[in-house]
Amino acid sequence: MITGASSGIGQATAILCDSLGATVTITGRNESALKETAKELKNSSKIVVADLTSREQLTALVNKSGAVDGLVNCAGIVKPLPIKYIKQKNISEMFDANFSSSVLLCSELSNQKKINENASVIFISSVSAQHPYIGGSLYSASKAALEAFCRSFAIENAGKKIRANVVSPALVKTKIFTETELATSEEEMQKYESQYPLGFGEPVDVANCIAFLLSPASKWITGTTINMDGGLLLSSKK
Amino acid sequence: MLLEEFISKLEGEFDDMPKGTLQPDTDYRSIKGWSSMHALIIIAFVDINFNITLNGSDLKATKTVSDLYNLVQQKRPA
Repeated sequence: MITGASSGIGQATAILCDSLGATVTITGRNESALKETAKELKNSSKIVVADLTSREQLTALVNKSGAVDGLVNCAGIVKPLPIKYIKQKNISEMFDANFSSSVLLCSELSNQKKINENASVIFISSVSAQHPYIGGSLYSASKAALEAFCRSFAIENAGKKIRANVVSPALVKTKIFTETELATSEEEMQKYESQYPLGFGEPVDVANCIAFLLSPASKWITGTTINMDGGLLLSSKK
Repeated sequence: MLLEEFISKLEGEFDDMPKGTLQPDTDYRSIKGWSSMHALIIIAFVDINFNITLNGSDLKATKTVSDLYNLVQQKRPA
């Protein structure tokens, strides 16, 4: 099951897992975008349109789902906001989308015994959970919370050999990236890119790491966070 | 909100911006020390005062302070 599969990292993950032989359930809020993802899938797949910030829609998704061998939590939002403007509604919006939806999905799937033994659960975080950027306080905090949750999930489920890990990318060229570029400037983005020894990432780069973590090749890895940053954090330590 | 009031309030959002820095024809990206933080402040300022969500494309289409003001007027419900 891949959430946030209508675009970006979720979409790339769905396409890659499908090409590797997985039967995927893709979910997201945008039906037409989900159908575009589905067009790229070769195996039988299930599309479930759901806004995971709605408890009813989340429960409906789990009810429709079979037991999963892998769960990739990609759904999330980015909305930069300087700290002086933060109101309760901004906190709720960010944490509902980036934290609560993944937590409640894991809880509901667990409760309905729909996470198989030996399954692998992946949470998509961001290097900004540890390395802040201006305007990103709520986003960074929501991702840091998700990382902490992952470690608890890993320890609670280790007895069933269910593994849970975090993939924490830096800037990846997705729709969010394009939007950021428009809000700032091409020059500013080029300045950012110069801080990345390997340049910005592509969604498939992150999908490849996710596929590894979903596979038995990573069966001894749980409760960890893999940073994917094209060397950004190395260069910032110079 | 008239243009003069819009400018005055927007200036108030930026720390350490002397009064009179922004004029209707000021290219706001040319303000000394302009950064992505300023763009975020503009987006938040418009959101809070007018309940209008600007995206990157909207901002990209504007250059001067009066362009910004006109954009907000266009997006206001009739």
